[in-house]
Amino acid sequence: MTPWTCPFCALLCDRVALDAAASGTPRLHGSDCPRAKRALAHFDTGAAAAQPSVDGKTATLEAAIDAAAHVLAAARQPLFGGLATDIAGARAVYKLANACHAILDHANSGGLLPGLRTLQDRGLLQTTLAEIRNRADLMVVIGTQPSKDYPEFYRRCGLGDAVSTLREVVFAGTPVDPSADAIKSVTSRSVPWSGDAYATLATLNALCKRRPVEASGALRELAQRMLAAKYVVLVWEPGRLPGAHAALLVESINELGKTINRTTRAGGLALAGNEGGLAANQTLTWLSGLPLRTGVHASGLMHEPHRYSADRLLADRAVDALLWIASFDPERAIAANAPASLPTIALAHPAHAARASARVFIPVATPGIGASGHLFRLDGVVIVPVAKVRDDGLPGVADVVERINARLQRVREESV
Amino acid sequence: MTTLRIRGGRIFDPTNDENGVAREICVRDGRIVAPFPAGMPVDHEVDAHGAIVLAGGIDMHSHIGGGKVNLARMLLPEDHRGAAPSDNPLELASCGRCAPGTLRAGYRYAEMGYTAAFEPAMLPSNARQAHFEMGDTPIIDHGAYALLGNDDLFLQMLARGEPFERVRDYVGWTINASKALGVKVVNPGGISAFKFNQRALDVDQQHVHYGVTPRSVLHTLARALLELGVPHPLHIHSSNLGVAGNIASTLATIDALGGLPGHLTHVQFHSYGTEGPKKFSSAARTLAQAVNANRNVSVDVGQIIFGQTVTASGDTMRQVANSDLASPRKWVAADIECDAGCGVVPFRYREASYVNALQWAIGLELFLLVDDPWRIVLTTDHPNGGPFTSYPHLIRLLMDRSFRAEQLAKLHPDVAAQADLAQIKRELSLYEIAILTRAAPARLLGLKDRGHLGVGAAADIAIYRDQPDREAMFATPLCVFKDGELVARDGRITAVPAGGVHFVEPDYDRSIERELEDYSDKYLALAFRHAMIGKDELCNCCNRGGRLLPTQCRATETSSAG
Repeated sequence: MTPWTCPFCALLCDRVALDAAASGTPRLHGSDCPRAKRALAHFDTGAAAAQPSVDGKTATLEAAIDAAAHVLAAARQPLFGGLATDIAGARAVYKLANACHAILDHANSGGLLPGLRTLQDRGLLQTTLAEIRNRADLMVVIGTQPSKDYPEFYRRCGLGDAVSTLREVVFAGTPVDPSADAIKSVTSRSVPWSGDAYATLATLNALCKRRPVEASGALRELAQRMLAAKYVVLVWEPGRLPGAHAALLVESINELGKTINRTTRAGGLALAGNEGGLAANQTLTWLSGLPLRTGVHASGLMHEPHRYSADRLLADRAVDALLWIASFDPERAIAANAPASLPTIALAHPAHAARASARVFIPVATPGIGASGHLFRLDGVVIVPVAKVRDDGLPGVADVVERINARLQRVREESV
Repeated sequence: MTTLRIRGGRIFDPTNDENGVAREICVRDGRIVAPFPAGMPVDHEVDAHGAIVLAGGIDMHSHIGGGKVNLARMLLPEDHRGAAPSDNPLELASCGRCAPGTLRAGYRYAEMGYTAAFEPAMLPSNARQAHFEMGDTPIIDHGAYALLGNDDLFLQMLARGEPFERVRDYVGWTINASKALGVKVVNPGGISAFKFNQRALDVDQQHVHYGVTPRSVLHTLARALLELGVPHPLHIHSSNLGVAGNIASTLATIDALGGLPGHLTHVQFHSYGTEGPKKFSSAARTLAQAVNANRNVSVDVGQIIFGQTVTASGDTMRQVANSDLASPRKWVAADIECDAGCGVVPFRYREASYVNALQWAIGLELFLLVDDPWRIVLTTDHPNGGPFTSYPHLIRLLMDRSFRAEQLAKLHPDVAAQADLAQIKRELSLYEIAILTRAAPARLLGLKDRGHLGVGAAADIAIYRDQPDREAMFATPLCVFKDGELVARDGRITAVPAGGVHFVEPDYDRSIERELEDYSDKYLALAFRHAMIGKDELCNCCNRGGRLLPTQCRATETSSAG
């Protein structure tokens, strides 16, 4: 049994252990996290037998890399999607994107983009897990029940533990999260939307700014409680906010935090960034200057937060090749709406092999299981190392992408 | 084995007292060596007639990597729009003016003749990101100063009155864990105090929760670094940044050092008086006198440059206070991991603004009024005062009095008419510029084989054509060598080696780790086994195989100052 860092959600819990014996699926210790357990069930020791394939036929890694390089060499506008990898993978992907003028988007950017748009338009108010644990005395969760997607969330915030003074959680727009309710020393309550989410947040903003506004007693009480707290933490999950304009809600939540900050203290935490979403976004940003949904074109870098959604590009048939990276989760389909005729290269968990119709399929190691790597925790500040716990014989994404890039250069030289 | 000879140039190497000396520079395998015998064939030869030869530039305070820099990039897509792609196949795409991508930062620094830059505000909890970003900054060497003095543990130790030696061990451990070259304190205690809703904290005021004063934070950290033998003295972002009248805090900060070495950073932002009709005046002369009188103190300036930029700082207390001045109107603030915080506020310095014009004049006054060039370093606090790409412009302002007067005349009329700057005749020489941009920062950081052109030095060399327009001259060197390799010629990148990372490894009592582990388990959100960045991790993961450049600590001494 070894200390382990779980890569299967952006909480990156690192005070758990894993029994990764030679046979069977690895066993988790120190947590009952259903998300981790479900993910681990996909890591039986059969991975080592996984083979790359080209056009559905088993191929050597070398042949698969060669085929991938030819797909990219023939493409005029490739899309690099999925991008479920670690920092090293994202670095390699960016170099390859430069070599073939690709557009970059992540499978989970639907959950990241509202926050990014808000940041670009208005800025951000942010706090981190240790700050919440040591500082917060009130948590207001907006429009989600965090434990659904992040089962260990409350534990990571120290909710109800001996160190934390956090004993009060308010759920706005959802019923009380049963996982929070189960913590004995904590009081949880729910405040329903008053109208809809937009109206509720607008009203709370007005109340906290002490402007005259019509409001329900419940909202008035919540606003007073927020203004009276020493340190409020606002929690939201952009991917689960209601309606089609999550960015507007995130903007309103940030405004609320900044308003409270004029008199007392508040911080915000967005729950997003699984499967290397934050690693991809942060790495691309520091390398290029621009975040996800950026194209590395011959005419220059172009950031298009709407137009460069992978879903949209695929639906519009706007790209002529697809490189899809999915090194964590075998349950999600690879590029669900990609046209069947689109030349596709998939670097993915071996379990994808049976279902993927990719022209080139290369099974890759998962960071934190078969490979070491680095991922960003969901608060966006801490990079956590994830360690290889067993050798499944699979290459890492960075390694494969670098080899495709090297092969692509040779293919180009040969064709001149 | 590769050899290089640079002949015909005039050498400005203040470390070795060479002021315009005509001699050859010879290089073997990336190091400067004794002159080769006449006629010895070499692999590369550069004709530097009509040019001057300097060591590569060293920027000792430039926000080039880490969370707040990346937030600044994300905050300002407009800073990154419309960038023409480079036609140089050696460059990967990267854009941004005041918050450039790491790739672009590396290319532009090297192109300008700079071969090292140092990230001054690395939060230990964010150290991996800082190292990853610096590792992705090509060509130039780099390093960072770890932030301390606002972390709950340090303040608790001080509040509990723990023995100084334990605090010193904790400082040593933090440097080692984060692979830092030094330690920076930002608004001592103030970032933490803001988490408890304290909105101001002067040098002798008490932290509302821990009861400690910035004075004690400053003295403890400065003494710890001295006793650990860390070459770079405590890097200090003083209390009350940007506040009218903050010269009193800055003088109190110097006083708090009690004679211990300290480096006051971006002092332009800390040299404000309250005189005149606008209750905002230059205190540059007062600060310069204090620096001249206190030889334990060095400074860098943080000159402002007119135009759009973004301010990125650990000082959440001051950044939030200034957030209403954000231009464009958007900003970021974060409380971080019981460690520190960050605030990112875009800002546009305007010539027509009285305050901004005065800030510009104060910076230049400081450059010109501090007597000893070895204790003042050229910075814009990139990007806080302006982007590093404005250094050639700044050098011209310092070297060319008539150019300076022309610029001053364009500013807010009250500043143009009344600024002390108008009366200052001093023009810095090439020799002094070489001190401010190379020799002094290398000495202040303890980098013995950098910042000079003596035998044994790394062959980081910049060759500039001697032109009357110093801005044009310093913008586009004839040749730039990094460790003996030609990396730029005439403003075009010619090679993209990985830069090395400078850090120190002070000795400390390892038994402190048990206390730190207990603290971490109890309060923090990251397992203690992840607190230390390993050397292999630093080299292979963060720095992409770039070299590790450990800097020697001084023989450990015990100060009598405690």
